[in-house]
Amino acid sequence: MTHLELDSVKKVYGDPEKDGVVAVNDLDIDVPDGDFLVLLGPSGCGKTTTLRMIGGLEDPTEGEVRFDGTVVNDVKARNRDVAMVFQDFALYPHMTVRENLGFGLRRENNDMTNAEINDRVTEVAEMLEIEELLNNKPAQLSGGQKQRVALGRAIIREPRLFLFDEPLANLDAKLRKTMRTEIDELQSEVGITSAYVTHNQEEAMTIADKIAILNDGELQQLGTPDQVFNEPANLFVAQFVGSPDMNLFQGALSERGDSYRIEMDATSFDIPKRLVDTEINTEEVLVGFRPQDLYQARTRATDGPEFDTRVRVVEPVGTEAIVHGTSALGDVTAKVGRFHDLEPEDQMELTIAPEHVYLFDPTTEALLKGRLVTERADGEASADSVEA
Amino acid sequence: MATDNTDPTAEYRKNQSWLYDSKAGGYVRKTAIGLLTLVIGVFVLFPLYWMVVTAFKTTSEIQQIPPTVFPVNPSLEGFRLVIESSIQAGGYAGLVNDLFGITVTSAIDINLLGLIVNSLKVAVGAGLIAVVLGTGASYVLSRREFRGKNLLMSLLLASLMFPGTAIMVPEWELISTLGLFNTHLALILIYGAMTAPFVVWLMKGFFDDFPDSIIEASQVDQCTPFETFWYVLVPMARNSLIASFIFAFLLAWNELVFALTLLDNSKFTVPPGLLTFVQGFNTQWNVVAAASIIVSIPVLAGLAYIQRYFVQGLTGGAIKG
Repeated sequence: MTHLELDSVKKVYGDPEKDGVVAVNDLDIDVPDGDFLVLLGPSGCGKTTTLRMIGGLEDPTEGEVRFDGTVVNDVKARNRDVAMVFQDFALYPHMTVRENLGFGLRRENNDMTNAEINDRVTEVAEMLEIEELLNNKPAQLSGGQKQRVALGRAIIREPRLFLFDEPLANLDAKLRKTMRTEIDELQSEVGITSAYVTHNQEEAMTIADKIAILNDGELQQLGTPDQVFNEPANLFVAQFVGSPDMNLFQGALSERGDSYRIEMDATSFDIPKRLVDTEINTEEVLVGFRPQDLYQARTRATDGPEFDTRVRVVEPVGTEAIVHGTSALGDVTAKVGRFHDLEPEDQMELTIAPEHVYLFDPTTEALLKGRLVTERADGEASADSVEA
Repeated sequence: MATDNTDPTAEYRKNQSWLYDSKAGGYVRKTAIGLLTLVIGVFVLFPLYWMVVTAFKTTSEIQQIPPTVFPVNPSLEGFRLVIESSIQAGGYAGLVNDLFGITVTSAIDINLLGLIVNSLKVAVGAGLIAVVLGTGASYVLSRREFRGKNLLMSLLLASLMFPGTAIMVPEWELISTLGLFNTHLALILIYGAMTAPFVVWLMKGFFDDFPDSIIEASQVDQCTPFETFWYVLVPMARNSLIASFIFAFLLAWNELVFALTLLDNSKFTVPPGLLTFVQGFNTQWNVVAAASIIVSIPVLAGLAYIQRYFVQGLTGGAIKG
């Protein structure tokens, strides 16, 4: 039960004065007690380094790591009372599952007797449904079972913090989804503050209370999954979060009474000023459409832009399909329903509601307008429901 | 594929030429490899064979020219002399007389059991020193960065290239300064120092391949560096440690020159002890051979038992979780 704070944390590998590599720069993160923080970013963005600094496996070059207000920079990993789940599980291969689980308790100064430790091991094993594996060595376990043992080794000690370093990366797709849910459930159950590193945005969105998105060692945004999806701080976050990737097009912006007029290559549309929180001073904008927000004009009318698209590929994913097409704006990806009659080379008309459109400043890449959440009411013009 | 057979199964059965190496060159190569293997095998094993048959020959048969390849009159004379000599020199003659009523007298005065005990003492001691010091050193050399590390590793490697006899005189000086002349401790220290560099190199390979995450896992499991070393690394390094120990043990077991120069008769280990059986023109070669076989037995038995760890330890650096 710990309130975790990172205050202007910086990590430089090598000599900071000369050619050191900055892995993490000026990072401020505040995780309230019991929250689930996910550090998300592409490879080499510094997320694992950040996690290792929290765990005490790396020393920050500058800044402070605080647990409940106490600076722990100089506290060694073994004294920080954290538990970590590693990407490769890092089970002790020479010990049985029982010994692996009990090892941390035995090393701790906790006056526990052998019988107490054994009881605790059995309890945790039952919780994770691995009690029949207790006498096996790690080499005899499958990936999912190893993962459970690694989790068990973390929760058995009831540490101040859980740290997860891409714990699902070595599992197959199906197992990844079940384990993801289990980790989430387990964390809510024990209520221990957690930090979780992943490069998988879907994993991050589903599991996190708060997501910290990093790029090149810099924090891009710290927010709830909803915030980073609907109000990404900048273009990087918008492109990194959400799948399939956001469509981005050039546009010219002009003011027209109480709305902004956006001119694009093949289409133009108005965005009412009440949908925009910020003052827009630029004439060029980047316009972003999430594939999920695009509709076929024949199924749904909106106040937003409409543009013709020639279908290239249809990728069915159950009730919807991801359609890749070419339009006058450029390449478009849309996730649409009613796709069974769509064939490559067909023409379809796509549209998007103005409240779902993202606008970015092309020079600073900062967000000008985010996505406003409205219900997806089929057949009804969504702009109307905003006005209602 | 030209074929007069339309049935695919029959065609498949007929066309199994790929299963066999049907070219003439293949047979020549296989024969050449087989012959070479045979020659090397004979070259390596013949001395051993000769030792064994010599042990079972009588003195007159040994001196016969041309020599016999197989003993004509197999005899245990050599073994009898060795055992009698050991009983007498070991001071068990009276005991044997009391128990079995056999009077043992021997012209030779060498206690084989005593030699083996001395050798075991020296070899185990040297093995332990080499393994303990070598493993500790290699852990630090593998896990820590410091100045002069590569130089140190090179020096250790270079020390392996010196023949032991090259440092004979300084070693002799050192031992006599320490007042360890004619003690087994002197040999233990020297053999330990001679084999420790090899252990460092072997174990460094092991520690280099050791996954960081397991060490980090033990750190978050609240281990001190020593606890990590003792509870995690050492058990996982078992095979490599056994290989290191065997290497040091065998070197100490076989070493002749230092043992011969630093000890006197009463404290001899096996190699110089066996040498005392060789007495100019009067050497009873069947006795020497029988003694050699007897001293080999404990080592062979031990090695047969731990051989699998030895091979795994030398070859397997990487660890699978």
